[in-house]
Amino acid sequence: MDTILISAGYLLDYQIVLAALIGVTWGIIGGALPGISPSITMALLLPFTYTMEPTAAIVLLAATYVGAEYGGSVPAILIRTPGTNAAAATVLDGYEMNKQGKAGLALGISLYSGVLGSLFGLTMLVLLSKPLAAVALSFTPPAYFALGILGLSVIATLSGDSLIKGMIAAVLGLMVATIGTDPVTGGTRFTMGSSDLLGGIAPVMVMVGLFAMSELLAQASDRGPSERVKSRPRIEFPSLSLAKRLLRPQSIGGVIGTFEGVMPGAGGTIASFMSYNEARRWSKYPDEFGKGSPEGVAAPETANNAVAETALVPLLSFGIPGSNSTAILLGGFLIHGIVPGPMLFQRSGEIVYGLYAGLFTAAIGLLFIGMALLPLCIWIVNRPRAYLNAFIFALILSGIYSIHNSLFDLSIMLAAGVVGFLMRMLKFPFLPTVLGLVLGYLVESSFRRSLVISGDDYAIFLNDRISLALLCVSALFILGSIGKRIWDRIRHNEQKTFSEGTDG
Amino acid sequence: MQSILSRDFVGGIAAIIIGTFYLSLAYDLRTSALDDIFGPGGMPRVYGWAMVLLGVTLCIVTVVSRWGKDTPGEWKGQGRRIAWAAGLLGIGIGYLLIVKSLGYLISMVLLIAATMIFQGERFSMRVLATALFGGALLWALFVFVLGVSMPPGLLTYLGL
Repeated sequence: MDTILISAGYLLDYQIVLAALIGVTWGIIGGALPGISPSITMALLLPFTYTMEPTAAIVLLAATYVGAEYGGSVPAILIRTPGTNAAAATVLDGYEMNKQGKAGLALGISLYSGVLGSLFGLTMLVLLSKPLAAVALSFTPPAYFALGILGLSVIATLSGDSLIKGMIAAVLGLMVATIGTDPVTGGTRFTMGSSDLLGGIAPVMVMVGLFAMSELLAQASDRGPSERVKSRPRIEFPSLSLAKRLLRPQSIGGVIGTFEGVMPGAGGTIASFMSYNEARRWSKYPDEFGKGSPEGVAAPETANNAVAETALVPLLSFGIPGSNSTAILLGGFLIHGIVPGPMLFQRSGEIVYGLYAGLFTAAIGLLFIGMALLPLCIWIVNRPRAYLNAFIFALILSGIYSIHNSLFDLSIMLAAGVVGFLMRMLKFPFLPTVLGLVLGYLVESSFRRSLVISGDDYAIFLNDRISLALLCVSALFILGSIGKRIWDRIRHNEQKTFSEGTDG
Repeated sequence: MQSILSRDFVGGIAAIIIGTFYLSLAYDLRTSALDDIFGPGGMPRVYGWAMVLLGVTLCIVTVVSRWGKDTPGEWKGQGRRIAWAAGLLGIGIGYLLIVKSLGYLISMVLLIAATMIFQGERFSMRVLATALFGGALLWALFVFVLGVSMPPGLLTYLGL
């Protein structure tokens, strides 16, 4: 109750409200552009947050995530091209409704289901984050090391069809994290004599390069024609009887979205497809699914918007980003020198409460901005790709330069873009690299400090109860993922691939 | 041979090369008597060896799983894709080279126009107008709204 009251106070802060509304607007537009995932939409904003007040900056990024999840459904329904991976399930029935002349109703269901999913997810975020963070308050250096390992163990579920490739990508991130100053002795490592590298490589450069720049390079290499929206629908909300019918799939979407969001590595795509399947299983009209069922739009849209909120639980409580988008959000925290995790609620509680207020504003704002922005979304989706890409390229270069007024940063970002393009080509996942980069410092510094404390006794990691528990959970996570891979291989199921790093 | 040279095999070789290069640098890191037992080079050596071993494993798994199987078309068109991507990258590098001397505004106009033309638009008044408008918009946004000190370049002669 205290959390709600404190957070409510932030609803009067115009900076937070403005950041939430701008974030939702930007997110809807970015999400509506096929190929521009929520993480890319957020990455494009990341450099701009550098000069902002920290709470407003975090709200801006988080609200972008919320907006992008809805924005992805616009092209999914209108041109059968999901703007985001999580909107792929919406194509199944959304596009069918469009063909039946019900595009406005499909968009309306998508929008209000998204709002419900966001509000449900926000409630779960508020309920779950603080208790988990309270547990984490008693962490010691060995526990922090184990926490880092737990974060890295997520790689097992994020590696697409090849665990080895996921691990290579993670080690690459860990390697980049070692560039700069040694966390214990203060000596320099891998700087090649460059003073620009003394502080290490900021994660924001690598993230923008990997996600946004590599997408531009990939689009430049693909010269195929893009689809255009021909209809001009207006958003139409369901009647009371239909709204009652949609309550069940929306509840299913909310619950599955919460569960998948809290689980690092699961993400909106899995949540939306799972909730679509479950909604069909529990529906009174299962035969309508795939033929334009409104329930088939409501369930995945509620789920992927719930994920946008609950994916913040592991980030805020433990500092572990479980998806590309939360990794970008972590970058936003780091830009302002704030480290999410156990101490966040103690040291920067105002940011967490401001974030809750911002997310609430974003969820409500989504309803009105989503309605108002539809014509603009259609206009932007129909712009020639050359124009859009030129502006995104200009925005990336300008934004990265503005962080430190450094051309060296631009070189790093371009280099990361090339690495990202090659990783796409060779089908290596991105997120393990980002995880390695952001967790590398935590893992190494905690490991070495633990050894200093224990007098070089490795048993410290097993004697510390929290450390032991986290290491056991990591082992279970890895073994469970390997077991599932073997099971899928036996049953000839395809692995969900995250290779192109475009999942939310 | 074509069946072995898959994306995974190339990825494995790349990992071995990166790991080996990184290891050579890691073993060159200076150690001091004041260092902890692991030292500044400890983790980098672990990472380097892990990268090399994972690369070798990926190559072996690929060779074993693909031996005798043909994978036609895996690299088809990739050379052309790389060339197009390199073109856009070239525009970015070109921007880096001129932005200090020409300044942000002029360089940005050139970058936007070059990117649009490279992406298939024909040079026209519309492209030129879009580039001029886009450059001016971004310049106003960053310099006046966000207060970022962008390279002025030639604009210094105009007193801007």
